[in-house]
Amino acid sequence: MFNATFYLRRLHSLCGLLVLGMVLFEHIFTNSMAIFGPQALNGALAMMELIPKPIFLGLEVGGIAIPLLFHGIYGIYIALQAKNNPGRFGYVRNWNFTLQRWTAWYLVVFLIWHVGYLRLYTKGVTGTPISYELLQNYFQSPIVVLLYVLGMFAAIFHFCNGITTFCMTWGITKGPRAQTVVSYLSMCLCALLCLITLTFMGSYLI
Amino acid sequence: MAEKKVRFIIERQDGPNEKPYTQEFDVDYRPGLNVVAALMEIQKNPVTVDGKRVAPVVWECNCLEKVCGACMMVINGMARQACCALVDEIKQPIHLQPARTFPVIRDLLIDRSVMFESLKRIQGWVELDGSWDVKDAPIQNPYTAQTAYEISHCMTCGCCLEACPNVGPQSDFIGPAPTVQAYLFNLHPLGKFDAPKRLNALMEKGGITSCGNSQNCVEVCPKNIKLTTYLAQLNRDVNKQALRNIFNN
Repeated sequence: MFNATFYLRRLHSLCGLLVLGMVLFEHIFTNSMAIFGPQALNGALAMMELIPKPIFLGLEVGGIAIPLLFHGIYGIYIALQAKNNPGRFGYVRNWNFTLQRWTAWYLVVFLIWHVGYLRLYTKGVTGTPISYELLQNYFQSPIVVLLYVLGMFAAIFHFCNGITTFCMTWGITKGPRAQTVVSYLSMCLCALLCLITLTFMGSYLI
Repeated sequence: MAEKKVRFIIERQDGPNEKPYTQEFDVDYRPGLNVVAALMEIQKNPVTVDGKRVAPVVWECNCLEKVCGACMMVINGMARQACCALVDEIKQPIHLQPARTFPVIRDLLIDRSVMFESLKRIQGWVELDGSWDVKDAPIQNPYTAQTAYEISHCMTCGCCLEACPNVGPQSDFIGPAPTVQAYLFNLHPLGKFDAPKRLNALMEKGGITSCGNSQNCVEVCPKNIKLTTYLAQLNRDVNKQALRNIFNN
């Protein structure tokens, strides 16, 4: 028998953790170059430009656009199946369950704006290359900075909590001790990545 | 000296499609009073705090010792058994509501037949092709007998379904209790022959993949069944079954 739901759910899980996790790490890694000044970030961006255009576009479509659209659209379907109840059952894991969905809703809106404005409009339509100077100019508005920091925090939490639930969904961590250890470790990673984000976002202000 | 009273604020509903409303009742306090005993007092004298005589509150109960599961309701927001909810141990006034994850029949009485349907769906029984004298019968694995005993305590009360954010009218998830029963029957020396059938049933829509790992189930289970541990084990088993489905055909 063919259980479409099962394979879609597992694909959603894999796609989120492995593919979109990679995308998140790439973003944090490249953007953290801003900490070392304009040349470092522009250098890192120039390195990516060395990848031949068709391959780069293929990576963007196959490695980001399709997985993101699948994870996002199927994720909305999943989120709509939940009736969040942390008010009645205020356990840590239930709060994480709720936050996983709240961050998801924020990310849907944030990513439409982020991808739509920076990738499709600025880089795609106007043909302006992304650079330190462009971003610094963009981040002059405190509201943009705030929404971007929130977007990064949401993505990082969603990814790190995703590690914990991934391990449960795939039956890697079975007992409560193993599940708790993984959840602590992934929250440490969450804090670390958030700190890195604050540092490189802060470097535009100085 | 005025007698000590316990105030109950009860969410009532006259029929499956009627609008809910609340009524308040005072019950004489006595040591060891529990919610079921208080509901029995209200049944004897169904007069609200305003002195209005009303229809007695409808609820369900049976064993009165936390074994049958029938008296599950929402007490001060928490899904639990009314028979072991001691008035001394919970905050007053005491709020009683029906578990709205299930269809409400009347007042606190709910229709939990959906769980029975789910048990049929996961094949929550053992096929026998004969019977044996005790000495000839297949033996339980002594290493998993404790686990099987623990899961067999499940009384399909529905606490875990009420607490689970992924169970309800908005979702088709069968819920933690019926899902974990599949593991109990997979552990059985004869039941294990049907394990692939049960695992395939769990892979269908509304099966184990609808679990969102909120882990409320294990927090509220009145029988302390380690539901999340067995859900993770079933996730493992289901993944292996998927590989078998793909590569064995």
